[in-house]
Amino acid sequence: MNYQKRKKLIDVFFQGLFALAAMISASMIVFIVIFIVVKGVSVFLPNYTNPISLFKFLGGLTWRPDQGLYGVLFIVINTLISAFIAILLAFPIAVLTALYIAKIAPKSISKILTTVIELLAAIPSVVYGVFAVGVIVKGVDNLAQIFNYSTFGGRSLLAVAILLAIMILPTMTSLSIVAIKSVKKELIHASLALGASEVQTNFKVVLPAAKSGIFSGLTLGLARAFGEATAVSMVAGNRSIGPTLNPFNITRTLTSTMLSGLNETTGLDYDVRYSVGIVLMLTIIISNIVISYVKKRVGSEV
Amino acid sequence: MTKARKIKDGIKQGFIYLASSITFIILLSIFAFIFITGKDTLSIDMIRNNYWSENYLVSVPDKQVSFTLERDLKATEAFSERYGVVFEDYIDFENQSQLRVSGLSKGSLFLASKDLSIGDNTDDILKIEVGSQIEKLEVVNKDGSIEKFGMIYNTSASELAKSLDAAASIKSVYFISQGGGIWGSLIATLKLIGISLLIALPLGIFTAIYLNEIAKKNKLTKAMESSIELLAGVPSIIFGLMGVIVLYPITTLFNIDGLSIFLGGLTMAVVLLPVVIRSVTESLKTVPNGLRMASLSLGASKSQTIFKIILPSAISGILSAVLLAISRIIGESAALIYTMGTFINDSPKLSEGATSLAVHIWSLMSQEQPNFELASAISIIILAMVLVLNISVKLISKRLDRKLGY
Repeated sequence: MNYQKRKKLIDVFFQGLFALAAMISASMIVFIVIFIVVKGVSVFLPNYTNPISLFKFLGGLTWRPDQGLYGVLFIVINTLISAFIAILLAFPIAVLTALYIAKIAPKSISKILTTVIELLAAIPSVVYGVFAVGVIVKGVDNLAQIFNYSTFGGRSLLAVAILLAIMILPTMTSLSIVAIKSVKKELIHASLALGASEVQTNFKVVLPAAKSGIFSGLTLGLARAFGEATAVSMVAGNRSIGPTLNPFNITRTLTSTMLSGLNETTGLDYDVRYSVGIVLMLTIIISNIVISYVKKRVGSEV
Repeated sequence: MTKARKIKDGIKQGFIYLASSITFIILLSIFAFIFITGKDTLSIDMIRNNYWSENYLVSVPDKQVSFTLERDLKATEAFSERYGVVFEDYIDFENQSQLRVSGLSKGSLFLASKDLSIGDNTDDILKIEVGSQIEKLEVVNKDGSIEKFGMIYNTSASELAKSLDAAASIKSVYFISQGGGIWGSLIATLKLIGISLLIALPLGIFTAIYLNEIAKKNKLTKAMESSIELLAGVPSIIFGLMGVIVLYPITTLFNIDGLSIFLGGLTMAVVLLPVVIRSVTESLKTVPNGLRMASLSLGASKSQTIFKIILPSAISGILSAVLLAISRIIGESAALIYTMGTFINDSPKLSEGATSLAVHIWSLMSQEQPNFELASAISIIILAMVLVLNISVKLISKRLDRKLGY
């Protein structure tokens, strides 16, 4: 074989190899979805050993594997509540911090705070979990005592919400910073030239103009809040009947359900985690759709 | 500006300052809490020890010598000159008082103790090391009578040291070696990093090359790109579920049964794919087009151009992909709980379940009496590693920017 021919063959081989790698990488998400859906749905089908009813699963308000009761509805509600409180706590802090870093702070402080945000984003979730069990849970317990309410050692809906707020803070802040920094200078100058104060400009011109980026931060933050597992499991307390609206009561999220009592890798108790996994993915997708709808409505007058 | 406007502005500005300082305080309190709780437990011994403690029965040789101690004693400690051992009363994390060896003189007789248990190892040297808990210690007195001491008999450190100095010989020592170490998890983490990178790096780099250098800009390529983007948004616990059903069959090809480090590594490889692909893509995009053109016009084939021109220019992106990937593996927990299990393994093999450092923390925290000190100490180690990796990535990308003249 002459050199040119060999070169051509090697070239074809490698290009094929690259294409194969890309096919594998791209098809991974398809594998994930198909396999999890198949396994998650299997527990509802009649040919499963002891199938559970899909209706009872989706509409149930009790999660007692020992009694064969698997109701996911209250878990979804509790997950939504905890994520919503977390967003409520974290969103204003994230946006205002981003505003400070991007527009107000002197360069040195802005650099320090950016590093702070990056460090917060880099902390692994188990470490957040250790912090939550050591600090947040105790704080919630003390707070509950002020209201004359006894908690289960502080493990509660509020503790989960505060923990999630802290964990989604860096994601939302860093995306907001990018969005605020990309607001056109002309807009700001025009606002200032019309006599608006700097603070007015920041709140009435910069933030609405950065809306889109801020909302994508919100979407990512919410997805992280729904999908966060280990740290949340440490402070949720795993309630078996719900839903609960009392912030000092123990709660149960989709992820904490998937992680709790993980002993065997077969049987209904294990397989039903896949069904919960499907519900988790659906929750994330639906919340994304809702946010993009809200995004269109909020600040559309600008 | 009116007065009302000024006040309103002032209040809003105040909120901005408040929010920023909250962010700062959160980071500070996390670091402070983890460091303060874990700093006393963090030591070389803790890193090098096994997690599970073991029970041993040993005999201690007799020699009429006298030892000295090079350091000062704490109030809770007592020193036996005859055997060269420091005993200490201490309270463990479960709030129970314990009696342990807290120091040994050079050449102490406790370092020459021999295994008394019946079996192959009888009479092998089995040192009573610093940190061992003395459960039961039988002493032969000068009049030939036998006296028993140790934690079972609620002996204090000073009592034990005094009676040892007065004794004729030691009949037997029943002790529990110091556990609570993380050596096994550390090794498991390293193995996990090795396997994950071995799979994720080639796959990720090749994918990035295909999508950027070879593929035509059509709908299929777009679809591939967005499906990889989607992968980045999947929560890690879902990757855990995926690993158990999609990747488990691959491990059975290697005769591995059940959860294993190998399965964890395969799963992490999938988790890492979007990280690697994104980072490599970014650096591929910074390679000037002129280089590609020059190489091709000189007669090099496409794959020659990729391996000899493009990849060397994109090396910093690949390097930062590696560092980011390692930091992701170290921090990952949910996916690994599903694929590697939560049993802490002191001598992890690829085909066995084990815990990475992060899952080790999870194991500790899900016990009824969580060992907070140890969990925080491991957290310090994890934080240090993750921060160093992240800072290095930043430095590398800064260098890359400078090279490109930004």
